[in-house]
Amino acid sequence: MSLLQIDKLSLEIGGVQILRDVSLRLDAGQILGVIGESGSGKSMTAFAVTQLLPVGVTCRGRVLLQGQDVLAQTEAQMCQLRGRVVSMVFQEPMTALNPLHPIGQQVAETIMVHENIGRTAAMARAAQALRRAELPPETFPMGRYPHELSGGQRQRVVIAMAIALRPSLLIADEPTTALDVTTQAEILSLLRRLVQEDGMGLMLISHDLAVVADMADQIVIMRQGEVVEEGPAAQLFSGLRHPYSQALLAASGHVPARPDRGQLGAPLLEVQAATRRYAGPRRGLWGRGPSFEAVRDVSFCLRRGESLGLVGESGCGKSTLTRAILGLDALQSGSIAFDGQPVWAGGGAARAVRRRMQVVFQDPYGSFNPRWKVARLVAEPFHLLDQPPTGAARRAAVNEALYSVGLTAADGDKYIHEFSGGQRQRIAIARALIIKPDLIILDEAVSALDVSVRAQVLDLLADLSGRFGLSYLFISHDLGVVRAITDRVLVMRAGQIVEEGPTEQVFASPSHPYTKDLIAAAPVLPAYAKETAQ
Amino acid sequence: MSARNLIIGGSLSGVFVLAALLSFLWVPQDVTQLDIANKIRPPSAAHWLGTDHYGRDILSMIMVGARTSIAVALVAVGIGMGLGVPLGLAAAARHGGWLDEAIMRGNDLVFAFPSLLIAIMITAIFGASAVNAIVAIGIFNIPVFARLTRSGALSLWTRDFILAAQVAGKGAVRISAEHILPNVTNLLIVQGTIQFSLGILAEAGLSYVGLGAQPPTPSWGRMLADSQTMVSFAPHMAFFPGMAILLTVLGLNLLGDGLRDMLDPRLRRLR
Amino acid sequence: MLQFFVKRLMALVLTLVVASGVIFLCLEIVPGDPALYMLGLNAQEDTLAALRAELGLDMGPVARYWAWVSGMMVGDFGISYTYRTPVAEMVAERLKVSLPLAIYALTLSTAIAFPAGIWAASRRGRGADIAVMGVTQLGVAIPNFWFAMLMVLVFAIHLRWFNAGGFAGWEAGVGPVLKSLTLPAIALALPQASILARVMRSALLDSLNEDYVRTARAKGLSRGQALWRHALRNALIPVLTIIGLQFAFLMAGAIIIENVFYLPGLGRLVFQAISARDLIVVESVVMLLVFAVVVVNFLVDIAYALVDPRLRGRG
Repeated sequence: MSLLQIDKLSLEIGGVQILRDVSLRLDAGQILGVIGESGSGKSMTAFAVTQLLPVGVTCRGRVLLQGQDVLAQTEAQMCQLRGRVVSMVFQEPMTALNPLHPIGQQVAETIMVHENIGRTAAMARAAQALRRAELPPETFPMGRYPHELSGGQRQRVVIAMAIALRPSLLIADEPTTALDVTTQAEILSLLRRLVQEDGMGLMLISHDLAVVADMADQIVIMRQGEVVEEGPAAQLFSGLRHPYSQALLAASGHVPARPDRGQLGAPLLEVQAATRRYAGPRRGLWGRGPSFEAVRDVSFCLRRGESLGLVGESGCGKSTLTRAILGLDALQSGSIAFDGQPVWAGGGAARAVRRRMQVVFQDPYGSFNPRWKVARLVAEPFHLLDQPPTGAARRAAVNEALYSVGLTAADGDKYIHEFSGGQRQRIAIARALIIKPDLIILDEAVSALDVSVRAQVLDLLADLSGRFGLSYLFISHDLGVVRAITDRVLVMRAGQIVEEGPTEQVFASPSHPYTKDLIAAAPVLPAYAKETAQ
Repeated sequence: MSARNLIIGGSLSGVFVLAALLSFLWVPQDVTQLDIANKIRPPSAAHWLGTDHYGRDILSMIMVGARTSIAVALVAVGIGMGLGVPLGLAAAARHGGWLDEAIMRGNDLVFAFPSLLIAIMITAIFGASAVNAIVAIGIFNIPVFARLTRSGALSLWTRDFILAAQVAGKGAVRISAEHILPNVTNLLIVQGTIQFSLGILAEAGLSYVGLGAQPPTPSWGRMLADSQTMVSFAPHMAFFPGMAILLTVLGLNLLGDGLRDMLDPRLRRLR
Repeated sequence: MLQFFVKRLMALVLTLVVASGVIFLCLEIVPGDPALYMLGLNAQEDTLAALRAELGLDMGPVARYWAWVSGMMVGDFGISYTYRTPVAEMVAERLKVSLPLAIYALTLSTAIAFPAGIWAASRRGRGADIAVMGVTQLGVAIPNFWFAMLMVLVFAIHLRWFNAGGFAGWEAGVGPVLKSLTLPAIALALPQASILARVMRSALLDSLNEDYVRTARAKGLSRGQALWRHALRNALIPVLTIIGLQFAFLMAGAIIIENVFYLPGLGRLVFQAISARDLIVVESVVMLLVFAVVVVNFLVDIAYALVDPRLRGRG
């Protein structure tokens, strides 16, 4: 008997089919990886197992947990199972914990709900669970509140809550997606250790092929509510049958073909000893704590035609540096020059310089004013010109920009909500292209996209750089993407550049310990899968 | 649900706006003419809602009174929006700066004075009039709109499209006008409807205690005040003006709910 | 926590100082001579001068402001221009009516709103929810003084369960006092309770949608347990804000409602003072009400910090 066996599970919300005949199984002590892009139904499958589904969902089929069909259980019976037999870990550690309760109490609650024991005994067991989740109460007192912990630490609290009663099945829904790469590696190894120690089954849900391929014994690939591929991890990649899974694998290791432009040009962007300080947190009634240097003594040079990567984890100062380069914030010391001219001059950003630099942001949903039509959105940078084109000339420029990113002139008359995430990033690129800049800063520009869409956008960027002679500053936390698209890379940590060099060289033989950690922590497809991908 | 709220709310409040407009052209009986012979008559074919203690037709009084209520509430919302929205936009654009701090402290200060207290002070200084009510309710509306605009604008300022506008070289004023204001309009329309209904309630209360419209200007609050001593033998005098207030306010509130459901994309997506 | 407390306290003092300045400017600097008003137009110049000195009107505005504020701090509100008695005594007498009324109404509205809001939220979209939403929709729209008149008509005039108005006086005992305050308190509480119940419901629905409620359910808590243990306390934060704001409306509403029931409270005092142009009384009552509103909002801020650990660290 399998620990979990799902037979032909179908799920509907208000007449819309979310899952269609999903079948999968998981044995005790095993890790089942469920891979899929957004909308594939992978999370819904997980919630169907715990029956924590939105109102109005109907399920058909069978979901056997230790031989019991959970679809036939009453709500009261499910409450008995949840937390004791099956537990869950969620994607967003920042919001998964109740902000008003201390962490120890939240872990103890799992125990007190299911077992008739006193508060003191429950707290003692909670301490044990936290210790097993590598958050020992000696260093992280159980009286702490969630807001006093980092994302990774909060995720450990969630895990401690989930494993406190040593459940047979743990469902982890994108448990590391919101975390930095080094934290992700720690959390994944914690999960793997817990599976070995407790002999529980782990259902690991992720969009990231590499994360799952590294961990799982069995893999299921889902698409639009259906299972398209399944099998043991070791053999799955060599014998992918479905075109979708083949494309997915190809896309996740995708390296866009970039034009070789031989000799690099003159320096375009020169950053000299840039330092940006923020005032410290308020202390006492009037005082302030020590100020915080978000960017400390950073120097680098980007040459014309070059694609430069800037890699670092959250909070390393990437965004602050980006704002300074764009002339949105002044530096405390140091200088930033573009083609020999200072970016920041006389209390404001120099317009002449600004119009030669544009930016593409991460969030395809937040980057556009929802009340404007695409043509107006794309034309916004014209504000930087002294004599912007008007009327037909303006529209022609907009159309040209839309064509160059693979959209049509008719798209200019639509609102942004009519486009998908990938199309929106194309529009963002069109907006950056319209005033024919020399440099485009790509601030996590593909991080929010699904793998297959990401590959297309990367191809587009490579193509555009050849056609328009663009230089890129590619800022990302995703090492794989940076490796695929940049010539040279900077590694940033705590406001400083710790390593710099040609991309291949840095990845092949990193010299700084932090770079080594970063590269070691990044999940990579196993070698056998990589071969298949090429 | 939202469509039903819109229809019921729109028609209820629409009826009273139309009645107010109609009263400029025609009323069943001139409210400036007293008819003592026919005083305190219950509803009849001649006077659908009866007559008051001066023999005036209550339906006509309600129609003319609607003008006062709507005018006072409308101007008060106008004052609140006209001053509150720019203040809120400015506070958000300078978030964390001294201007933001000053505007927010100013808001707190005004919030400590309920509109009735403002009306009391104005009346104590200048004497009672309908203008009092407008100013008192208007002042109280300023921080309401300032806070709402500020909080809506603050969440917009963190969005990337604002950053894109900054990269395009646009300043805070231009961004506030082009990007922020159009995106808080929905909030403002909904809150405007609610403040409009609160304004009608407040005007009625102020007129009732004699701090608002003065005789002979007909107003719903005054009609209720006049009816109070006669409520035991002429309940119709108290009933109809009260129902007019209740239905108008109810209509506006339903309209506000319906507009919010229709305009708020967050709620729409959930459906 | 202490730092938070001190900061809020400073904000409170600042608001009071500015508010007193505003009130003083508005009411003391107005044209017109109270002494002339009190003695009539035929008054002798030396009598007027004596009275001005007695009232402190011969001092400069700054000195007068200081005298007013420092007097209030020790409970001296000045002398009423019309009654020639200390304002503090008059106000204290009226507070014996107004304060119990406000507290009675606030208690009633909270006691109705909390269960109604929780009940509606936990049965979202079902009969109970629709009923609560319908009743509160009416409650929000009804003018409270009109509702008070209707209650008088039904419960006092027809059923004779209560008196139509007037105040029994504390000498008569707690029972009669409560009886004479019940209808006014209900009239005051109804709109407040309606608003509060709606806020409670929507805040609770919001927090029921939060991730931590899903986490709690995944631990094995039932829907009800998750609501009571996790959603409710988080929902209290917006509810507390509204309670704080409502107190201001309650004070204002009380002034109007006292008129309906002929209650000898602050409201009646203020209207008498306005018609007699007894500005010192108006000034004192307004300041007292502002003080009450500001203090209640301060208490709400402190309650925030007790509910939400995230606020304790900051100012």
